Amino acid sequence: MKHSRMRLFAPVVIATALVLAGCSTSNLGGTSDADKSGDSGPIKIGAVLDITGVGASLGVPEQNTLQMLADQLKADGGINGRDVELIIVDDQSTEDGAAKATAKLIESDNVDLIIGASRTGPSLAMRPLAEAAEIPLISVAANAAIVDGAKWVFKTTQNDVTVLETILNDAEKKGYTKLALVRDATGFGEGIADYITQLGADRGITLVTTEAFEPSATDFTPQMTNIRSSDADAVIIWGINPAAGLAQKAYVQLGVNKPVYQSHGIANQAFFDAAGPSADGVIAAMGRLLVTEQLDADNPQRPVIEKFQADYSEAFGEQPSTFGGHAFDAWHIAVNAIEKAGTDPNALRDELEQAEFVGISGVYKMTPENHSGLTASALILAEARGGSWTLLKD
Amino acid sequence: MLTDFLQLTVAGLSQGSVYALLAVGLIAVYTVRHIVNIAQGEFAMLAGIGGAWLTAAGMPLILAILVAIFSVILVAIAMERLIIARVKNLTTLFSMIVTLSVSILLQAIMLLVWGPEARGLPRFPGENLLIGGVSIRSQELWMLGALVVVGGGIMLFYEKTRWGKALRACAEQPIAARIVGISPVMASVMAFAIAGFVGAVAGVVSSPIALSLWSGGLLLGLKGFVAAILGGFSSFRAAIVGALLLGVIEAYVAGYVASGLRDGVAFLILILVLTFRTQGLVLKPTAVRV
Amino acid sequence: MTDSTAPTFVGNLTPRKRFWATNRGTVIGCSILVVVAIIIPFTASASMMNVAVFAMIFALPAIGLSLLMGLAGQVSLGQAAFFGIGAYTHAILLTKFDVSGPIAATAGVLAAMFVALLVGLPLMRLRGHYLALATLGLGFIVMITAREWDFTGRTTGIFGIARPVVFGIPIDNNGLFFWFVTPFVVLGLIVALNLTHSRAGRALSAVNDSELAAESLGVSTYALRLKVLVLSAGFAGLGGVFYAYQVAIVSPQIAGFNVSVEFLLMVVIGGLGSVWGALAGAFLIEFLGEGMSELIPALIPGATGEVQLLGYGIVLVLVILLLPGGLVQATTALWRWFLAKLPSRPVATRAEGDDIAVNDTAVNDTAVNDTASDALPKVSAPLAPGESILEISGLTMRYGGVVALDSVNLTVPAGTILGLIGPNGAGKTTCFNIISGALAPTSGTVTFLGRTISGRKPHVAASHGLTRTFQNLQIFSSTDVVGNVYMGRYRQGRAGILRGMLGLQAHEQRSNRGVAHDILQSMNLTDVAHEDAGSLPFGRQRMMEVCRALAAEPALLLLDEPMAGLSGAERDVLAELLRSLRDAGLTILLVEHDVAQVMSLADHVAVLDDGVLIAHGEPEIVRNDPAVIAAYLGTDVDEAETELIDLEGHA
Repeated sequence: MKHSRMRLFAPVVIATALVLAGCSTSNLGGTSDADKSGDSGPIKIGAVLDITGVGASLGVPEQNTLQMLADQLKADGGINGRDVELIIVDDQSTEDGAAKATAKLIESDNVDLIIGASRTGPSLAMRPLAEAAEIPLISVAANAAIVDGAKWVFKTTQNDVTVLETILNDAEKKGYTKLALVRDATGFGEGIADYITQLGADRGITLVTTEAFEPSATDFTPQMTNIRSSDADAVIIWGINPAAGLAQKAYVQLGVNKPVYQSHGIANQAFFDAAGPSADGVIAAMGRLLVTEQLDADNPQRPVIEKFQADYSEAFGEQPSTFGGHAFDAWHIAVNAIEKAGTDPNALRDELEQAEFVGISGVYKMTPENHSGLTASALILAEARGGSWTLLKD
Repeated sequence: MLTDFLQLTVAGLSQGSVYALLAVGLIAVYTVRHIVNIAQGEFAMLAGIGGAWLTAAGMPLILAILVAIFSVILVAIAMERLIIARVKNLTTLFSMIVTLSVSILLQAIMLLVWGPEARGLPRFPGENLLIGGVSIRSQELWMLGALVVVGGGIMLFYEKTRWGKALRACAEQPIAARIVGISPVMASVMAFAIAGFVGAVAGVVSSPIALSLWSGGLLLGLKGFVAAILGGFSSFRAAIVGALLLGVIEAYVAGYVASGLRDGVAFLILILVLTFRTQGLVLKPTAVRV
Repeated sequence: MTDSTAPTFVGNLTPRKRFWATNRGTVIGCSILVVVAIIIPFTASASMMNVAVFAMIFALPAIGLSLLMGLAGQVSLGQAAFFGIGAYTHAILLTKFDVSGPIAATAGVLAAMFVALLVGLPLMRLRGHYLALATLGLGFIVMITAREWDFTGRTTGIFGIARPVVFGIPIDNNGLFFWFVTPFVVLGLIVALNLTHSRAGRALSAVNDSELAAESLGVSTYALRLKVLVLSAGFAGLGGVFYAYQVAIVSPQIAGFNVSVEFLLMVVIGGLGSVWGALAGAFLIEFLGEGMSELIPALIPGATGEVQLLGYGIVLVLVILLLPGGLVQATTALWRWFLAKLPSRPVATRAEGDDIAVNDTAVNDTAVNDTASDALPKVSAPLAPGESILEISGLTMRYGGVVALDSVNLTVPAGTILGLIGPNGAGKTTCFNIISGALAPTSGTVTFLGRTISGRKPHVAASHGLTRTFQNLQIFSSTDVVGNVYMGRYRQGRAGILRGMLGLQAHEQRSNRGVAHDILQSMNLTDVAHEDAGSLPFGRQRMMEVCRALAAEPALLLLDEPMAGLSGAERDVLAELLRSLRDAGLTILLVEHDVAQVMSLADHVAVLDDGVLIAHGEPEIVRNDPAVIAAYLGTDVDEAETELIDLEGHA
């Protein structure tokens, strides 16, 4: 039986081969049959996003934003008379998914530029492919390692360091010298303790204790108990919702009476849902998206954000999130550069390295050394009061 | 220092009481069907998310809790009737795969119906206490109380009532069960109903502070499994003690060692117990169940 | 005894043809696979190519898992842990220590195997669900360790893994990478297929049918299962190595539960325990996953998150409820249906299909017709007749407060038949189970050929030449009759897992098949040699079990009620055979209800009553022992005697 069973599989194997046999694109590194779109024909922009899987809460607003912007651009007649085609691929929030998606975009769709991925891991899996194929990649994930030393990779999110600088400047001003950190145990909170130690050195601030929590954590008693018994002047809670909100709640319930800073990771309504009244008094560093109406009338970002908010809520019936903002910035930086430099990869890359753009997350100024382009000025401090954010003026 | 220690102990015990209820459900099914129900944790999450959704829709808390618990019992019975009972050759291997697939299915349904966000029931009535610097949240008292009432009730049922005793004996002595009027089918349905009930109770009492998440059941169920192993998969008492111990150890590890290692502890205990002491905390193993 | 339709006896073929006959399936299958693998990079679209590369990579852990589930009957819910360990080890050695590719890869595979050994040593002793849940826990431990440890790059993981270079060619595109992986998958397939057909593989599949019977034939279940677990982890580790190369980043979620579930799904969909099924399953799941993330949001608007889970859950439940054999079952059914639809030559095709199977497991009668049909199975006679081969002293067994055996002393001389009788509940079967090792006594010892065997596992006694049959039949239902008897030869083989994997045991297997066939002939079972063992009538199953025990060439044969359920003619054949075997030097111990048979067959009879040995001696003496009559048949001697005569007459 064992052997005859194998015979039965032969048709399956052959069928698989037939399924696999599609068009005749070369998979062996030769030139593709349809080469890069050149200087005519539609411009192709690919996007690799966490549309399904654990990163879906990031990827879906990014997908919505990109689709909306592509439709707008199409209605406006494209770039320099050329149509722009957006191809979005789901990486299922996995590294191998991102690698598959990137290879597909590069090899069979022949895209001119790629946006993605939503999170650090998949972005790092895409980086070597983009570098090898010499195609510009604009990530919408946070970690500085994504662009560190990269030639072809850029990103649009604030570096963690700039967020921390903003927080530490405020702490220094208020005379706090000892800080405690409660951080997310995954990539988002990684390296934060080291940054605080480094940045704090100039400001006379030391980190006295560090605790961590899972993004799925629900019990924060051990962490907060340790914080409570530390001699810190203030506490930084660094995480994303709902965990960061729950941590805030536990913090108050356990009677820790120290001021709290939170990161840009909590900048959405879910924070108030999870933390409830415990949120009051929290100071957070974030982009300007959530406090638009409190901005000065002459703030250059204000009209950009207001238009984005209006467009997005008209298209999707809800307010855009920070993540949609990252995608918005990536799209416009890409489109502006293509407008100036065309689709020749080298020219496009050089143009991206000098891109300047007033976006949702801040005012960008890319350089060959800085592929991230945002400075501390991109961030503001806001205080939670009664379920919404109040801009703290300097 | 003592304050911290007591604070961690309180947190550990309340978390442990959730594990204990899940362990009771696992053992209830195991004694009758010799199945490890990987979907046990999903019962808790389903009750929590469902209850939260009902209260958000305006249902009074107590009613929402009752409806959630009753629905989860129905889900558990449906799982037994529609899937478990229909597998023709239910070997250990197949039983693992089947309950695993039910677990995945329930997760997916929760995700699709209620979305990826964590949800929580409103807090049960009661005031938070602060005793000598140790903060005790009222919900933590509800969690411990649920263990005492429900866990204790189930134990009394098994140890004192005719039906309970017959149910326990069911796997070894089907005849004894038949004498009391419990057919194997009935016994299996009852076991799953009990599992659904305790799982749902664990889910609703923990939901106000721990929140319920579509993907949270697997890990919770596994912790319950570790507790059940500590009870040698036969003794409710030992499993409950094991569960409370596990909760406390987790809290100490998170507080004194590193909070990131918290979830690893349970599995380290699991592997150590299986290696060195298969009967767990049971002092006199009554039957070899290897 | 010549049968013109019977297939050619493999042993008569030249070595080359012989290889072809026994390995045809593997050779054809792998050749097709290699040809397809060579063609694919030229024809597949880029996105198909992508999926194909990952399907090939994931096929490795899936094949490993299918071995574990099919052979060891155990399920690992943490196969991704081993996958992750392989990937991390490889990635760390490459990026942090600049170790060369092949060495790093080998280290990755070995690391996965080593962890499996550590986990398996304690856990493979336990049956049932323990391994599954412990491996599930292991997955979490690996994930948490990787995330919390600086050395493993914490949450970000290890990245910047350079592309491999083979013979100076950088493997920097999917087509080349596909060619890079395929040879390893093909080798893995060959190794896995060889193993399932090997002595160890057959032994393990016998264990899954009846652990008791397999151990009584000398199979050390624990050691074999442990080896399969380690091997399975090795496959996963190798998959991890390729994954690290292809994705260029290894992060903690590689050891995640979802990945383990995906591997499990590949095996279940492919068909439990089928090596080819695992490969097919890997391709199917990879393509399914691609389709699912588009299909489900389309079907259920607004669905976000890990929607593939819904598909996985539904597919798993449906497969288990409706198609427990997976793709293998489906393909087999389709093939049968297809053949039935072909009116022209269905019979011929079927026969041809069977040939392959038969060649593997059977021997043509003509090939062995120089050994006459009354040839006697070989027995081993390590002692001269009359010397003591088995000594039982002070054997006591208590279950709680019940004493099942009370200080039984008994000596069995070699080359004789000893009948053990007694009323129901007298302790006969308990005594039997202790001798064979299935039970450990409360106190007392059993010495076989000078070695103490009581309290040891059955395979220990079996390896010294003690085999048994079972009152409640323990047949290997997943194979045919000749396959069952063939398993009896386990003790005579030496080939371990390694030789099995390399296919270096053809000679051993061939000679064993010959013997198996001889033995079937001596019991007139040749006509059903290739029928499924489970479909035989009860009496013939019992005869087959005796054949299986004899195939082990035992020195001491324990028969537990061998006559029960046999027809008169079958009883005569069996009794005659047992006498001849005794004359050839075999020692036989039988428990039997049929008193007449025992009295006429046995050289000595021992009588147990309430756990006490009340008589032991020649049949005539025992028969007339008043104590026996009283204990065995009641207190009234006259009545008892009538009853005894009745019993004998009845038989």
